[in-house]
Amino acid sequence: MTPAKKQTTFERVFAHGDLLYRILLVASAVALIALIAGVGIMLWQASGAARASAGAGFITGERWNPSGGVFGALPFIAGTLLTSLIAVLIAVPFGLAIAIFLAELCPPALRRPIGTMIELLAAVPSVVYGLWGIFVFIPNFVKPIGNFLMNTFGAALPVFGGPFFGPSIFAAGVILAVMIIPTITSISRDVFLAIPSAQREASFGLGATQSETILRVLVPYGLSGILGAVILGLGRALGETMAVTMTIGNVSQMPSSILNAGYTMSSVIANEWGEASSPVYSSALLEIGLLLFVVSLLLNLFARALVWSVSRRNPEQRS
Amino acid sequence: MNMKFTSGLAAFGLILAACGGAAPAQPKGSIKLNGSGATFPQPLYEDWAFGYSQVDPVAAINYSGGGSGQGKKDILAGTVDYAGSDAALSDDEAKQKPLVQLPMVAGAVVVIYNLADVTDALFLDGKTIGDIYAGKIEKWNDAAIAALNPGLKLPDVTINVAHRSDGSGTTSIFTTYLCAASETWKTAVNPCKGTTVDWPADKLKRGQGGSGNQGVAAAVQKTAGAIGYVELAYAKNNKIPYAQMVNPAGKKIDATIASTTAATTGAKFSDRNAADIVNSASADAWPIAGFTYIILNKDYTDCAKATKLVSWLSWNLTDAAATDRASKLLYAPLGKDTQTLSLNALKTVTCNGQPVLK
Repeated sequence: MTPAKKQTTFERVFAHGDLLYRILLVASAVALIALIAGVGIMLWQASGAARASAGAGFITGERWNPSGGVFGALPFIAGTLLTSLIAVLIAVPFGLAIAIFLAELCPPALRRPIGTMIELLAAVPSVVYGLWGIFVFIPNFVKPIGNFLMNTFGAALPVFGGPFFGPSIFAAGVILAVMIIPTITSISRDVFLAIPSAQREASFGLGATQSETILRVLVPYGLSGILGAVILGLGRALGETMAVTMTIGNVSQMPSSILNAGYTMSSVIANEWGEASSPVYSSALLEIGLLLFVVSLLLNLFARALVWSVSRRNPEQRS
Repeated sequence: MNMKFTSGLAAFGLILAACGGAAPAQPKGSIKLNGSGATFPQPLYEDWAFGYSQVDPVAAINYSGGGSGQGKKDILAGTVDYAGSDAALSDDEAKQKPLVQLPMVAGAVVVIYNLADVTDALFLDGKTIGDIYAGKIEKWNDAAIAALNPGLKLPDVTINVAHRSDGSGTTSIFTTYLCAASETWKTAVNPCKGTTVDWPADKLKRGQGGSGNQGVAAAVQKTAGAIGYVELAYAKNNKIPYAQMVNPAGKKIDATIASTTAATTGAKFSDRNAADIVNSASADAWPIAGFTYIILNKDYTDCAKATKLVSWLSWNLTDAAATDRASKLLYAPLGKDTQTLSLNALKTVTCNGQPVLK
C-alpha cells in the first residue's frame, strides 16, 4: 500500500461518518489491554502480604503448610509445568497426525464428519473430562500403563518410580492431552488446507512421494501456523483447573516421578480459596495466581518469538 | 389503586416491625436475609429456610456455600446478614467487628475405606487412625489394626491415605480429633489441626487429595486399600462402608444422630461459644464430631431484618419441625445444654442497641 492510497481510505471512512464506529473498535482494544494490565496489577497488589512474608522462598520452597504459615509454591509450579509438558508431548504427534490425515489423506466425504467430531471434543466441559478420568480413564487405561512403566523402568529411571495409585501427574497430563488435541488438530488442519496446491504439485513433480511431500514440504511450510496451534493448546493446558484437580491427586509434595500424585497452581487456588481464612493465606493464593499469570505470559512471549523466527525463515508466507 | 393500598400497608407493617410489634400483611418474601459460608451445613440451612418460609412467608432466606472462610470474610465486610462457619472465629477476626457466634448443629465425620474382601464391620480407634494418617502404620495387616479386629482377615495391602484437597471444616473436625486422640499425629504434624494441614502421608507419597466429600469418596472407592474421611451424611446417603470406632470410654460405637448429639453434652465452651467436641469422654458419644456455627452481627440497623433472622434461628434450634428436618438430613440437633447456650447467645443480638429477642 502506498501512503497516498492509505490517506484516501481514511478520508473515505471519515466522510461516511464512521468515526464513532472507529472509536468503539479502538476503545474495545484498549479496554482489553487495560483489563489484562488491571489483572496483573491487582494480583501484584493483593499478593503483597505473601511476598513480604515468604519472599523468594515462595518460588523455591517445597513446603506448603498454610495453617503453619509456610508458603512454598514449587510443587505447584512443577505440577503445572510437568502436566502441560506431558500433554504437549502426547498431543502434538497425535494432533498433527490427525490434522495431516484430515487435510491430505482423508476421503472428502469423511473430512467434515471427522472434523466436526474432533471439534466436539473441544466443547466437552472440563469437569466431564475429570469425571471420565476418575471413573473410566484412570482405572482402565492409566493404571495398567502406569503399573507397566513402574515395574519395567521404575527401578532404573526415577521418573517412572512409584508409588503409583492411579491419580498422578501422568494421569492429569494424559487427560490434558485429550483436551488439547482438538485445538491442535483443527488449527493445524486449517493450516495444511491453506497451503497452496502449487507446493504439493511442485513436490510431486520433482518425484517426491506423498510422505516426503507432507514431511519435507508441507510441515516446514506450515510450521509457524502449527506452532501457533501448539501454543494455543499449551495455553489451555497451563490454565486448566477442573479436570486436572480431579485426576492429579492434589498432594502438595515435590514429585520425584510422573507417577506420583501432584498438584497444579490453578488447582490449589480453586481448592483452597473458599477456606483461606487468614489474610496471608489468601494473599499467598493470589501470589500463585500472579505466578501463573507470569508463567503464561512468558510462555506466550517465547512462543511468539518462536513463530516469528520460523516465519522469518520462510519469507514467502509472511504475506 | 390496589397496588398503592398494598404498598401503603407494607410501609405501615414495616413501621410496626420497626417498633418491635408483629407485622401484619407484609408481602410474601419481602424481607430478604442473605447468608454465606460453610458448605457442610448448606443443605440443612436451605431446608430450614424453606421450612421457615411456610411458617413465616414474609422472610426470604438465602444461603450460599462458598466455604467457612468466605462466610467470615462476607460477614466482616458486611455483605451478608449472617454467616455459617465450621471453624470458630479466631481472635483476629473477632477483634475486627462485634460479632455473635453460636453453635447451630453438630455433625459427625466417619472414616471410609476400600477393602474389597472385608465385609464385616471394621473397628478403629483414635490411636490407630492417627498412626495411619501420620504414616506410621503402612499396611492393613498391621498388628495394631488386627488387635482391634480379632477374627477379621486383613490383607497385606499398602494403605493409601486420602484427604480433602480443598480447605474444609470436615478436615478441621477430623484433624482436631487426631490432635486430641493421637500422640503420633500431634508430634508429626505442626500445626496439628486446621482446614488444611501438612499431610505426612503426602510426603511419603502414599497420600492423595480429593475435592469435597465426593472427591475423597471417589479417591477411596477407586483406590484399593485406601482410607479417607467424609461427613456421616455423605457416607450414609451413598452407602459407603465406614469404620466403627472404639471411643475413649472403650466402648464400640456406631455413628448415629444420637451418638453425635451425645458428643455435645458436657462441651466446654469458650467465651465466644465455641467448643471442640472430639474424643468425648461420654460412653455413648461418637468421637469424631464438631459443631457448625452461625455468626451474626452484634448489632443490626435494620430491625425488621434482625427480628426475622433471630426468629428463624431460634425456630431452627427449638421447633420440633426444624429438628425433625435436621435429623432427616443426618445432622445432629444440639443437646439441651448447648441449645440453651445458643438461645442465650441469640438474646444478645441487638438492633440499634435494643435487644431483638425479648
